[in-house]
Amino acid sequence: MAEEEEEDWVLESIVGYLGSPEWVIPVSDFMEIKCSVFDDEDESKLTYTEIHQQYKQLVEKLLDNHMQEIGINEQQFVEACTSPFAKSKTVQVLFQPVLATDDFQMFRSLMVQKNMELQLQALRVIKERQGALPECLTDGADVMSELEQQEMKILQEVLKKSKEEYDEGLSQRTVGSTSGPCSGRGAPPAPGALEEAPTQDPGSSRAQVSPVGRAALEEAAGGLNSPEETSCAAATKHTTASKVLPVVRAPVKGGEPPADPCPGAQEQGSSKPSSTEACLDEARREAGISKPYTELSESQQQRAQYLREQRDKLQALKRGQPNGRQMASPEGRAPDPPPAPVTPEVSAEEKKKLQKRKHLAEKLKEEVIKK
Amino acid sequence: MGESQKGLLSVIQKLKGSTEQELRIVLLGLDNAGKTTLLKSLASEEVNTITPTQGFNIKSVASHGMKLNVWDIGGQRKIRPFWKKYLDNTDLLIYVIDSADKKRFEETGLELSELIDEENLKGVPLLVFANKQDLATASPASEIAEGLNLHTYRDREWQIQACSAVSGEGVQDGMNWICNNIVNQKKK
Repeated sequence: MAEEEEEDWVLESIVGYLGSPEWVIPVSDFMEIKCSVFDDEDESKLTYTEIHQQYKQLVEKLLDNHMQEIGINEQQFVEACTSPFAKSKTVQVLFQPVLATDDFQMFRSLMVQKNMELQLQALRVIKERQGALPECLTDGADVMSELEQQEMKILQEVLKKSKEEYDEGLSQRTVGSTSGPCSGRGAPPAPGALEEAPTQDPGSSRAQVSPVGRAALEEAAGGLNSPEETSCAAATKHTTASKVLPVVRAPVKGGEPPADPCPGAQEQGSSKPSSTEACLDEARREAGISKPYTELSESQQQRAQYLREQRDKLQALKRGQPNGRQMASPEGRAPDPPPAPVTPEVSAEEKKKLQKRKHLAEKLKEEVIKK
Repeated sequence: MGESQKGLLSVIQKLKGSTEQELRIVLLGLDNAGKTTLLKSLASEEVNTITPTQGFNIKSVASHGMKLNVWDIGGQRKIRPFWKKYLDNTDLLIYVIDSADKKRFEETGLELSELIDEENLKGVPLLVFANKQDLATASPASEIAEGLNLHTYRDREWQIQACSAVSGEGVQDGMNWICNNIVNQKKK
């Protein structure tokens, strides 16, 4: 009788402990920090064993501390935990992390689950902010595969259309790039953004969107010079959100943060969501594109994807705003003079870059179309 | 129950609800011996898409009313040093040999004798699978047993079983041996 009461008391204390921050925080911290290597592949990595070992030590330490604190020994601990009261579902769930010390498979599935949770969380954050995922991030994310499949079909159509318009897009870019401010190309971001400002008086007609779109495009195109830069450019567009996806952390060049104090850039930033809704849509569809190109090397893929995204954006702009496009050409040339006189060397450099980019684009096009 | 030393973890073992008895089995052998294929064959899984194991695989197989937790650890030379970490509390060692790979008989024999000397495997029963008997060039199990000097092992139960993990032939015989010898012994 008395023994039973004691068991109850011990169990209650243990259950309380397993729900308390003293237990939950160190254990979930451990899992969050260590879970990133746990994937759902059939095969386990050798490091899993090491991490499991560390986990055992942690749990042992925590439980030891608690047992000392409430003054029970292991015997009492076991008795309490194996009492009928401990068989309830809620208690069993609480015990899971404890049992995982002795059960590698359970531990592994807990870690895999945690990793998935974190990844999904990160993806959600990115999606919330951007409406779509940068493609370089969809590659490694298994969670996307279903979505990818769905979107594959749409994408193929989009690609077909885009191929037709691709050359046009290229030539337009040729025009645009000399005129365009060099926000994304290693020029200091603030001036770049400022240069853009005059072309987009707030509240003026929708036509202004095109230059903005093109600026974004150039920003991106500037990034095409190297795969590394590509990811930087992607980063500028797609927030600095995720820790799971390191690319995103790349230095922000012409993008949001430095642009904040400058009205022009803010305008750019704010106009993006509304004006390029279609683009984002497009981009979202593109999430499925990584699949068929998996044969390409990673950097090639990234570049190809990025280029495609930009191209489709351009189309979306054209499609979405037939007027805007016509007006865009004059408007696009309008800002021509300012940058040119300011820094002649830049334009020379630009030409070189443009040359490079065009070459790259050709190559990519070939690769992409072949597939 | 070791009281205070490694106490708590052994205590936790008892918290497991299941009344089912479990066996921990470690599956070792040189690379390309067919360990993973054997594991999958034990678990009645597809054996056509197996690639060299870089880490390890673990599967739980129900057999003769027992739960067999089988650990298959990669056999490449660079992974072998990690074998030691998986030997704790092992109830049975399964050692897999590519019976057609005569050039490496010596190497595999050396690895086995090193394992046998491991403190953690003291007295642990040994089942050797002479795998790949489906290949024409495979040596018979008896020959391999001789080469490994299995008859000199006096400190443990041992058995050699010819098999083909790909076809499944002989695999069940080996498992029967496990159940007849190890399981019954453990239950006593």
